[in-house]
Amino acid sequence: MILRRRDRGPFENRLVIAGLVLPGMAVMVFAMVVPLGFSVYYSLTDWAGFGDYQIVGLDNYKEILTDDPVFWRSLWNVLLLILVTVFVQNPVAFVLAAVLSHLSEKMSRFLRTAYFIPAVLSLVIVAKLWVDIFNPTFGLLNKVLIAVGLKSLAISWLSDPRTAIWAVIWIIVWQGFGWALLFYYAGLMTVPREIEEAARIDGATWFQTYTRVIIPYLTPVISSVVVIDVVYSMKQMELVYLSTGGGPGQLTQLLGVHLYQKAFVASEYGYGNALSVLLVVVSMGMALVVQRLLRGGQDR
Amino acid sequence: MRRPLTKLLHVGLVLFAFSQVFPLLWVFIYSIQKSGDLFGPELLKLPHDPQWENYARAFTDGHILQYGLNSLMVVTASTVISTALSFCMAYAIARMRWKLKAFALGAITLGMVIPIHATLLPNFIWFGYFGLIDTRVGIVVPYVAFTLSINTLIYLGQLRNLPTSVEEAALIDGASWPRILWSVVLPLATPATVTVAVNTFLTNWNEFIIANTYLATDELRTLPFSIIRFQGQYSSDYAAQFACMVMVAIPPLALYLYFSQRIMAGATAGAVKG
Repeated sequence: MILRRRDRGPFENRLVIAGLVLPGMAVMVFAMVVPLGFSVYYSLTDWAGFGDYQIVGLDNYKEILTDDPVFWRSLWNVLLLILVTVFVQNPVAFVLAAVLSHLSEKMSRFLRTAYFIPAVLSLVIVAKLWVDIFNPTFGLLNKVLIAVGLKSLAISWLSDPRTAIWAVIWIIVWQGFGWALLFYYAGLMTVPREIEEAARIDGATWFQTYTRVIIPYLTPVISSVVVIDVVYSMKQMELVYLSTGGGPGQLTQLLGVHLYQKAFVASEYGYGNALSVLLVVVSMGMALVVQRLLRGGQDR
Repeated sequence: MRRPLTKLLHVGLVLFAFSQVFPLLWVFIYSIQKSGDLFGPELLKLPHDPQWENYARAFTDGHILQYGLNSLMVVTASTVISTALSFCMAYAIARMRWKLKAFALGAITLGMVIPIHATLLPNFIWFGYFGLIDTRVGIVVPYVAFTLSINTLIYLGQLRNLPTSVEEAALIDGASWPRILWSVVLPLATPATVTVAVNTFLTNWNEFIIANTYLATDELRTLPFSIIRFQGQYSSDYAAQFACMVMVAIPPLALYLYFSQRIMAGATAGAVKG
């Protein structure tokens, strides 16, 4: 034989590989990929969820993009959420993580545990908790405001159009804070002591040590956290569903809630599916674009 | 000079921690008072006469026991399956040599980006074909699918750091693959297994929208629904509502406090490695 059969080692055993990979893949295809395919199909119809329907081509998408202010409002809200997360929550978390990294292990562990508690609570509890705190009649926030003499500020936070979206963003950022802190703390733990000490010996103040040495060293971590922030923001839905339902006047709407209401409340199942497809496309697109942008920044 | 400053810093940090925990404390305090106390003018009324019977009411009216058992069944099943499948996938990616490996890893990573509620609408049709609507299996399947990506990546991080020599030796000795995976590799990957299992448990224990949409039969409903049920049926009974929230929060909190170090170590592995 001229053709020699390639010698297959045990780590190339196809049967074993298939046995390991296919079950997991099958579940993902069954519960993620095929549903997405169904969504694409129904997004091309005018189905109400019952009765007959017709294929309407890209009409649903056309309507969403040109004639659905709630869609654009939802995207805008997600953008706001991402911006607040990246530029407000993350810096606070970073500073706090830096302080924690200088404390004794016991103290730091205790505080990290406390900071992370909101992150393990069910969204149903978090939503209900803050709806009650923001409640205009018995809510904690207004009681505090009245107690310190700011009665004029005591408003109905989640239903006032001026404050509703900020109240919602606050809740999401509050719950996600523990994660941001955790990521930055773990990142700071990887900074070699030597480079910090070298900077000190060269006469750098602690502020310079952070801005010139530690933060540049942690750029990959910061980039990863920002990508995670984007994905986390795109996945928000239940909190709005449970707290404001998208109101007042659709001001706090998110894509997930919008598609739910379109399909199950307004009986526009086809239209809801088009929103669902766009949600996936936007989520993937945002994650990839942000990742590329940050990676590109690092190369230079 | 340094001492008082450090002290001040510590006070600040503890206050901040307090602000993260305070809302829960607020709920707890009003869960042992009379519903009317909530409407008083005082900021925080400390209970003189704790009304523990609120908890009894919440427990029965909120169907805590039944919903809790339902949650336990669905979540345990999805945790075991997701952990097992992600371990296998991660092993194949970390150790085996095959052509589509890079593609598979890319697809798995991409899976992390897809929100679970994107399948909310199409599953009504697709799962309907298999009679999976309003069944426990119909909840377990998406719970497994949507935790596989992150779990595989956590396992991958761990497996790549393990030496291959033990497996190779076992292979030469003629051990079968299932045996190698079960009694050689899995024990070495225990830290990752704890992280994966606890994270999956917490994620699915807290999942709301899929359970709320697809489980219509009261006998099947999971724990988060007890709070929703209260809002609807006993909306003026704030004290029992708060008691209900405390009870629903306790299992994940206990699990977290017990495993906190492992959860933190594993959850950050992916982000820090980029």
